[in-house]
Amino acid sequence: MNKQKMIVRHKLFDRIVHWFIVAVGLLTFLTGFSFFYPSFQWMGAISGTPQLARFVHPIAGLMMCVPLLLMLVRYYSHNKWEKTDIAWFKSIKAVMFEDEENIPPVGHYNPGQKILFRAFVIFAIALIVTGIMMWQPYFAPLFESDAVSWAILIHALCAVGMLVFVIVHFWMATWVEGSITGMLYGKVSLAWARKHHPLMAKEHEDKE
Amino acid sequence: MATQDIIRRSGTSEATPAAQARVGGVKQVAKLFDATKCNGCKACQVACSEWNDLREEVGSFQGTYQNPASLSPECWTLMKYNEVEADGKLHWQFTHSACMHCADPACLKACSTSGAIVQHANGTVDFDSDKCVGCGYCASACPFDIPKINPVDNKAYKCTLCSDRTAVGLEPSCVKTCTTGALRFGTREDMLFYAEKRVAELKDRGFTNAGIYNPEGVGGTGMVMILRDINDPESYDMPKDPQIKVSTELWQDVLKPLGTAGILATAGVALLHRITVGRNIVEEDQPGYRDEDHEEDSK
Repeated sequence: MNKQKMIVRHKLFDRIVHWFIVAVGLLTFLTGFSFFYPSFQWMGAISGTPQLARFVHPIAGLMMCVPLLLMLVRYYSHNKWEKTDIAWFKSIKAVMFEDEENIPPVGHYNPGQKILFRAFVIFAIALIVTGIMMWQPYFAPLFESDAVSWAILIHALCAVGMLVFVIVHFWMATWVEGSITGMLYGKVSLAWARKHHPLMAKEHEDKE
Repeated sequence: MATQDIIRRSGTSEATPAAQARVGGVKQVAKLFDATKCNGCKACQVACSEWNDLREEVGSFQGTYQNPASLSPECWTLMKYNEVEADGKLHWQFTHSACMHCADPACLKACSTSGAIVQHANGTVDFDSDKCVGCGYCASACPFDIPKINPVDNKAYKCTLCSDRTAVGLEPSCVKTCTTGALRFGTREDMLFYAEKRVAELKDRGFTNAGIYNPEGVGGTGMVMILRDINDPESYDMPKDPQIKVSTELWQDVLKPLGTAGILATAGVALLHRITVGRNIVEEDQPGYRDEDHEEDSK
């Protein structure tokens, strides 16, 4: 085995927050699914009974969305939009087919990841707001039934949208091998960084 | 004990309908409320609370005989006292406010839980409290603002049309107790027949705008009303053209199928991409993984 130089990609705090979100997010999605698809009520059984699923869902949801927003604050600087990002989107075919020579170099996050970041910000805020509006028996009675009815629609829409992005997130993280170990243990190899995030690798090398 | 006469069941696929072997020749029933005969005695409200063992907390005086102010988990039938000025006169219009038992119930469409809301063959819309999870979707979907969530047990409650009485051939307790004959109960056909005769009679007596409130937007209702002025149901605190809300329809009929397709399509594309494009590895990290000379073509 050759020895690879490893560089830090995710700090301990962020990793703990990330995997906490994964855990409560799983609970939130499974229980939420049981309300969106009544035939799949068994998914909510992860929290016990259907009644418990309903009780747990908003709490788990808040435990998912609030740390998510915290994480988004911490990763904000990596997710600023840059003019070169458009070129990356134009070469999306090269990205998907691993044709690395034709992909414009990206930094800590590529524009696809930045879109995901933005989507999570919007969905998390919308889910918190609409979720509180429909939260029985505490907050829902404070709103007009029409408003709650629209909140339910928007909540479901954002949840479906978020799930689609979560699938994409999971797909990319498992496809680009080394990403998950990076998120678990914090470090990626320099070779990995050069391949997937060349500007991040360059920044690291410049520092040394 | 299954009633085996469920024609509609919340959260249930059409591919797996509820037991309905005993639907047979069951006729639709209806409660008829003749507002022109009601004197606001509240006997119906009390009978409801007695039969169903409901005791709403005593509130405070709000300048009206209406008490409590609105339907609640402990008040499934409420006498509403509407003060309306028309033709230079004050009309004290009473509304027997309770579940309308819509033929096309919005609550059932919105319900998050399989079988928590059912519609019996006779048209009664009933809640199965044991299944209810208290999500409140029914409460926000109802165009009449009827179901209420009880904070004590976090379950939705509303008028059952005394389904426990009607199942054994009795009339609802409110009808049984009505002191003026303003409430009647029977087959929907009979109630509409009677209502038409009564409206004709009212018209003869000069109430030219009298009419039957049986809103088509929700497929007709299991509680039919005779109102003094059918053009102004709002004066009875009833919506003019109740419908299943657009938000409920978009959610159940558009978002659900499209969202499902979107989720499955994303997962499908992801899987296909993984199988066709293969692993995305950093060769330096895994020396010897890719041996170009000995690689077998797997395509």
